[in-house]
Amino acid sequence: MSALLEVSGLRVRFNDVAEAVRGVSVQVNKGETHCLVGESGCGKSVSALAVMGLLAKGGIRTADTLSFAGQDLRGLTESQMSRLRGDKMAMIFQEPMTSLNPAYTIGSQMAEVRVRHRGGSKREALDRAAALLGRVGITAPGMRLAQYPHQLSGGLRQRVMIAMALMCDPDLLIADEPTTALDVTVQAQILRLLMELQRELGLAILLITHDLGIVARMAHRVSVMYAGKVVESATAEALFAAPTHPYTNGLLDCVPTPGKVARGAELGSIPGSVPRIPLGFEGCGFRDRCRHATDACTRDIPTQSRIPGHDYACVLPSTWPAEHAR
Amino acid sequence: MSAAIEIRDVAKIFRQSTGLFSAPRMVRAVDGVSLSVPAGGCFGIVGESGCGKSTLARLILGLHPTSSGDILVDGRSLLAMDRRERARLIQPVFQDPFSSLNPRRSIRDIVGLPLAAQGISGKEIDTRVHAMLERVGLRAEMASRLPSQLSGGQRQRVAIARALVLGPRIVVCDEPTSALDVSVQAQILNLLNELRRDLGLTLVFISHNLAVVEHICDEVAVMYLGRVVEHADTDALFRAPTHPYTRALLASVLTPEPGLGIPDVGLGDAYPDPANVPAGCRFHPRCPIVTDRCRGEAPLPRKIGARTVECLLA
Repeated sequence: MSALLEVSGLRVRFNDVAEAVRGVSVQVNKGETHCLVGESGCGKSVSALAVMGLLAKGGIRTADTLSFAGQDLRGLTESQMSRLRGDKMAMIFQEPMTSLNPAYTIGSQMAEVRVRHRGGSKREALDRAAALLGRVGITAPGMRLAQYPHQLSGGLRQRVMIAMALMCDPDLLIADEPTTALDVTVQAQILRLLMELQRELGLAILLITHDLGIVARMAHRVSVMYAGKVVESATAEALFAAPTHPYTNGLLDCVPTPGKVARGAELGSIPGSVPRIPLGFEGCGFRDRCRHATDACTRDIPTQSRIPGHDYACVLPSTWPAEHAR
Repeated sequence: MSAAIEIRDVAKIFRQSTGLFSAPRMVRAVDGVSLSVPAGGCFGIVGESGCGKSTLARLILGLHPTSSGDILVDGRSLLAMDRRERARLIQPVFQDPFSSLNPRRSIRDIVGLPLAAQGISGKEIDTRVHAMLERVGLRAEMASRLPSQLSGGQRQRVAIARALVLGPRIVVCDEPTSALDVSVQAQILNLLNELRRDLGLTLVFISHNLAVVEHICDEVAVMYLGRVVEHADTDALFRAPTHPYTRALLASVLTPEPGLGIPDVGLGDAYPDPANVPAGCRFHPRCPIVTDRCRGEAPLPRKIGARTVECLLA
């Protein structure tokens, strides 16, 4: 299977002070969900914004490969990029209220996307918008088109965002924490909808989240990020069956899982908090919080494979979790 | 076990102005809640946003007066206590440590403020603040820092130190870990658990995160649109949820187990509005097993063994 989105050696720095992304490689295939998971400040959102060419002022992007559907994105001008965004490459963000324009109706915002990218009449675009609102499970779509964003609940707004992202039949959907601001029941509904749409339309999804539960349930492939790097990458089954990077292990131990940790018993935790990585930092970004850190962790960290397709960036052998348990 | 908090048929109605000429909306945030929180345990209150769980927390803390009903803390009505007395008995920890700490005050001043308000001298404040900071896992030299110089987890530790510095019997935690990363959340949950054991605290733990509640609470009350729809031991509730809303909530917990997919919670897209409570059972527009009877008749809480459920079909 050839990759729809192929990124390698992606680096992002801001004004020569901090390096937010330090060589990230990610592939997203057609019909597949790739999850970028990590804690706040690990560079997962910045990576996605860099791919879309939406970095804030002062952000400098470099990459070895950055291609979408065979097209090299590195040389594209801003206007070429903006023709791609919202068309073949669509995105949804965490807080739908801030990504919808409060001054325009749902209908006019949705229609604009279609007309701008594909031309045609506003009437046709509105018909398509109504059909898509119905598809994402909104009742009375005709009425919703005439409403303003503030008249909708958070769950409905996120459905509108998804429908809007689908206006031009995208091949790739980049979703940055799409359900973090929502209630758990609504979250389950929205994620289910995304899975259905993926099956139906063959969408490739790059899903950014901090929630390992969402990762386990949604992802085909997972990349765990820490301090601007992918520290472990594998299929979801492989990752959860045999987490190999100490950070992934620590993160999984922190999640209270019914039946895994007795009530009131101590949860595993990672001491300290996510560090800021200065420019020119070398070695493993996790070493200050890692129980297994040695002198070797201050040098270049090799990427090893536990099994083909399951890579991790650590000096420890892949058998360490079993040896440690003994 | 005696009750630390006794909530008796409490209601809180907010008037929401909707403009000069239209009638105000009456938001029934808490609508007839009775609960008894046993001393020395951890009592969880769960529900979606807008269900009234945070309002209930504020009522328990005495930060809002009730519209009707009464709350007894440690056997005495909140109405009969003044602020200082209340502060010695019951203290809050809020969700967002970025907005609940005064950004212009040092950590020493923030943690020491409850002591100063009780008229305690400066020297003793220093000693007690330092002891408290150490107790929550912060170095004493943090006392001179400002909140902006601390990480999210450290700030939440400061908020916990402030809550405990007067030695209260009860701490009400409103989403204490929702703003934190998972690795830090685990640190804070471990700390709360340890403090509860060592100091014999009663914790009221409000959260939308059911996995966290399952981990830390002994008893759980599930709220929906201002009412408690189910209340039981944590084990009983999680093993055999009885109210259809509890079942949907539990079904939507996504545990890190690959291959299970995303469950169908079956709630539809009728979102609840506390200013416009449906007739009959207030859950009926979203209920997957609704009957005609539910549309006309409001259920009352019913005891089934040790649990209380508010559903006509249970």
